[in-house]
Amino acid sequence: YRQVYPEYLPRPDWSSRDKLLEKMARRDMNNRRAVMNIPEFYVGSILAVTIGDEFAPMKVNRFVGICIERGGHMLYHWFILRNVVDGSGVEMKYELYNPLIQKIEVLKLEKRLDDNLTYLRDCPAEYSTFPFNLDAVPLPKGMTVPVNPLKVKLNPPPWLERWERMELKGVENNTRKLTKKQQIRAELSKKPWEKHDLMLQYRGSINEVEKDQIMREIYHENLRKEKKKKVKKFES
Amino acid sequence: IFRVLTCYQPVRYRKRRSKAPGWFVPRRGGGASRDLTKENRDFLRDLVKEKYDKTLSSPLKEEPWPRGTWDFGTKRVGLLAIKLGMTAQFNKKGQKVACTLLQVVDNHVVGYTPPEKFMNSVGWKPWWRNMYGSVTVGAMSCDPSGFTKAYNNIFLNAGVPTKRKLTRFLVTPNAAVQPGTRLNVMHFKVGDYIDLQAKTVDHGFQGVVKRWGFKGQRQSHGVGKSERRPGATGVGRVSSGIIKGKKLPGHMGSDWNTSKGSQIVRINTKYNLIYVRGPCSGPTHCFVRIMDTCLPVRRDEIEKSENHPSMPTTFPEDLTEEVPEEYFHESLHQFNEPSITYSADEDSK
Repeated sequence: YRQVYPEYLPRPDWSSRDKLLEKMARRDMNNRRAVMNIPEFYVGSILAVTIGDEFAPMKVNRFVGICIERGGHMLYHWFILRNVVDGSGVEMKYELYNPLIQKIEVLKLEKRLDDNLTYLRDCPAEYSTFPFNLDAVPLPKGMTVPVNPLKVKLNPPPWLERWERMELKGVENNTRKLTKKQQIRAELSKKPWEKHDLMLQYRGSINEVEKDQIMREIYHENLRKEKKKKVKKFES
Repeated sequence: IFRVLTCYQPVRYRKRRSKAPGWFVPRRGGGASRDLTKENRDFLRDLVKEKYDKTLSSPLKEEPWPRGTWDFGTKRVGLLAIKLGMTAQFNKKGQKVACTLLQVVDNHVVGYTPPEKFMNSVGWKPWWRNMYGSVTVGAMSCDPSGFTKAYNNIFLNAGVPTKRKLTRFLVTPNAAVQPGTRLNVMHFKVGDYIDLQAKTVDHGFQGVVKRWGFKGQRQSHGVGKSERRPGATGVGRVSSGIIKGKKLPGHMGSDWNTSKGSQIVRINTKYNLIYVRGPCSGPTHCFVRIMDTCLPVRRDEIEKSENHPSMPTTFPEDLTEEVPEEYFHESLHQFNEPSITYSADEDSK
């Protein structure tokens, strides 16, 4: 549940947290979900998003792409879809709870080895191209979300970011030539103590007990929705 | 008659005084129940709750005062709210509207002084003349054992539980409110323009670059010991020394700030919440004074239209229909509505 609904967790900044505010925001999110189905997706899944566009010929705009990043908390949650259209890479940022979004379809539900696929910007275009008429491939029921072990090859440097400094599991040739000065700076910038810093992890995340409570609320909401559906079916 | 303050000089720099004003009554303290057993303490707590649960919805001590009517230049009471933080709401065009959430907690009118009496009190300014009375509003009912006897006595006259925070609103006599009235979120309507007054975030002692936005000097190329210092402070040969009010390092923040003309986009009557478009000064959980705008264009809109705000405030007896839990502004998208779609009919010209 925590992976399916990550946006329900608030910002872990204790100085600006309020329980009532979070409750009202969650209520708004539940109301939106009751009207429009927001499916489960992860970074690495291929999505098709249809939004209402006043100036488009069909009044709708459909974009297909691979989800490379997810961010924001509660109603501010967004995700970025990447695709290569007519030879140029295109990225679209969508707000998950924006009322203009009419449909989110998950064409392929899978995860990748990394949480953040922004390195696809420095990869050859084949890794980010997905045809717009891709058919949805639903997962069989009860199956856990598969992890695509694809290892991507980066273009030769210069890159947009210093990928050699990051621990990226989904990338093969993560190295480049560094001058002596650059090597020294890279060594200095490393913070190997951060993975042992328990207080940092605690302050940068939500309490386990609170997470449980929030996810339980969502579980009960889902039960309520299912009951309503059953009642409707029974009536009709 | 008005009081002539011969030694009055308007002060334009940041006003900070370490001596308490004459009307100040020490608040915190009082006979804390420390020597009691746990059962006795719990019993007292239940007693207090029982007593004040009745007062929160009890009838007024005296007969209700006559209600004034809206007139040109009327100033109504305001509310004392707590800033809960910010959320996102969405427009019917799909644009995000960043809203501040304010909660009006247990507001009661604690006292009213008519203009004639108010003129002779401390804290009155001579340019107000005979225009305004003052209404004291309290927020957040609390257990009186945490406060001094003198502070608790302020609330006896109104028959209202002890409040944690008090504030005063200047009010024209036709908008006088009787002490003991409960103030609700329904005092305002969705679409109203309000002024939000709050104390800004306290940054402590800050340097000149952060406090006043000075540019500082270079960080390299031979600059020594003064990257973020103010630099020269002299003005000319005529005035010796530094002018009073010179921008220098010092305490930053914790100043009263007014955000004028903020619009209310949503009201929740169950939890007494106001969603206001835009930001509000102050840290999370700070007290915010909410009043009708002073901006002339917005006031003109009210005066020319037929809908005047409810005077002096909305009483629960006035609301004949059942009050819905949420009120939304017409431009705001309600989350339980379907997604925004555009029809193709308009385009077939």
